[in-house]
Amino acid sequence: MGTVAADAFRQEWGRITAALIHQTGDWDLAEECAQDAFAQALRRWPRDGVPNRPGAWLMTVARNGAIDRLRRSSTYRAKVEELAVMATRETGTDSREPDAADDDGVPDERLRLIFTCCHPALAMEARVALTLRTLTGLSTAEIARAFLVPEATMAKRLVRAKHKIANARIPYRVPPADALPERVPGVLAVLYLVFNEGYSASAGENLIRRDLCDQAVALAQVLAELLPGEPEPKGLLALMLYQRSRQAARVNDRGDLVTLEDQDRARWDQVQIGLARRHLEEALAARRPGQYQIQAAIAGCHAAAPTAQATDWPRIARLYQLLADMTGSPVIELNRAVAVAMADGPAAGLAILRRLEADDALAGYYLLPATRADFLRRLGRSDEAASAYEEAAALAGTGPERRFLNARLAEVRSQAQRGG
Amino acid sequence: MRYMLIHAADPDLASKWDDEAQAAFSAWIEETIRTGVNLQGSRLRPTADATTVKIRDGELIITDGPFVETKEQVAGYDLLECASLDEAVRWAGRHPSSWVGAIEVRALPERAPAAPLPKPGEGKIQYLMLVCTDPAVDAREFDRIEPVDPWVADTDGQGIRLYGSELEPPSGARTVRVRDSSAIVTDGPFAETKEQIAGFDVLECADLDEAIEVARRHPMARLGVLEVRPFWPFEED
Repeated sequence: MGTVAADAFRQEWGRITAALIHQTGDWDLAEECAQDAFAQALRRWPRDGVPNRPGAWLMTVARNGAIDRLRRSSTYRAKVEELAVMATRETGTDSREPDAADDDGVPDERLRLIFTCCHPALAMEARVALTLRTLTGLSTAEIARAFLVPEATMAKRLVRAKHKIANARIPYRVPPADALPERVPGVLAVLYLVFNEGYSASAGENLIRRDLCDQAVALAQVLAELLPGEPEPKGLLALMLYQRSRQAARVNDRGDLVTLEDQDRARWDQVQIGLARRHLEEALAARRPGQYQIQAAIAGCHAAAPTAQATDWPRIARLYQLLADMTGSPVIELNRAVAVAMADGPAAGLAILRRLEADDALAGYYLLPATRADFLRRLGRSDEAASAYEEAAALAGTGPERRFLNARLAEVRSQAQRGG
Repeated sequence: MRYMLIHAADPDLASKWDDEAQAAFSAWIEETIRTGVNLQGSRLRPTADATTVKIRDGELIITDGPFVETKEQVAGYDLLECASLDEAVRWAGRHPSSWVGAIEVRALPERAPAAPLPKPGEGKIQYLMLVCTDPAVDAREFDRIEPVDPWVADTDGQGIRLYGSELEPPSGARTVRVRDSSAIVTDGPFAETKEQIAGFDVLECADLDEAIEVARRHPMARLGVLEVRPFWPFEED
């Protein structure tokens, strides 16, 4: 019983808040009424049985709650009437009993909500918080824990974001078609950030942090469904699924990171890989490549390889070249160096790194010396590799990345001693 | 001559806005309007509700927050008709926002016509758009700036731009702060930053997206930054 309500909560929360915000323009009211509806479900479903269409039931209860609250404040008369008309239209009766509301004709307003929460006039951290709060129903306390900030800080961030939406009048709408190419990437960036927060969380960290991955995948799914003409949301969904398929294999029993090369590929989740491939194929069929589609294609190359050696590195190097041309990002160029080193040998990779190091754009980024260290190690230049590992470890902060670098450092040091 | 009074509030002094300040403020507004000195003005929503717009390498960049982070923050403006800079500075010294922050007094070029602002139309919202310089942009770029007239004609024609003007350079500005009942007048703008306000426009739009669209088409979007800040009418709290 509890799980039926929990599933309904996950599936319906965003639709309910999105519809109520659309109808009332009041974000807090929408959240409170959605919350109340789920609280009622927890009380009533065990007693009365689960309604045939839990989503419609919840929507009706939430809307009735909104009508009740608005009636108490007379200034909202027009909105009350609008809500009441919708309620009548959907239930076909004037009955306020939710069980009559099996026909859920409420339009899905989640796309409006996603675009509003991810509006570029909001700070990135506010976009992330608001998206999670209003679309997934994570509580303020949970979001705070997931992002490792005090609850009061997160509460303030949410209030401030809602104030800005109201005061600066950020519209509650899906941008017109000609503005989509400009606005969709910003939405995808929010979802990918949420995903990566969850993905980078170690097994020892709180569950809510790891749960962010699933929330991000669910949101990407919604976006891909609601924007069927856009290939990039499908590309992002595929990318997330490919990455998540490796989650069990990327950390060992001690909590240390395992590189792609050394992962036990039998532990990769083939169901998710299959799903990812399907979404990517659909996206690519539109013939409008974008950075998430290309990143997913790269992840797909790894997923398709039975061993690290059997990976199609030349293809990955070409995909990174495409991505580097598209983004001009030095981090992508660094990844290309890794792929080229695998395809054509570490010396070829080092040549790309030298150009990157001359450019200075990645100064202070630990993966740059870490990559150089790896190339040097593979070339047998152990002394140079050791000092590069030292440099990388000094920049890497704490946690599994640093442990990994120190382990490699010890390895090349002993090689250097044996060699000299 | 017309002068813009840019009110810059110091958050640390906010508690000093007491009943006396409120009374002085009401009296100031009443007197400046009655004597025809005050042409227009508005309180602005706080910097938390600001959005900045710029275009770099052909890409639109929208950011949450004001054009520059300073301790004192632009909180409103008034447009005055005065005989001289000194007279405008005197009015600034009598406005209580100079007690809880600073008032920067900037001259408008003579050609700027003045117009009182109408109330916002049904379903519309008014914004102050601050046209600001960006020190990161090479000054030589300005030799190639497009004229602003087509933008002005276009936005005026659509009923979006209600008023606007360039400002005389900040080097000619005076800034007034009243502390312990005595006015401290300094030369230059309130913020000693490289980013400075070069002009302003009052826009009336349906929503922020429309304001952003208008701002991005301004020639200064490529060479400076445009801060879009909602008006905060005194009847709203």
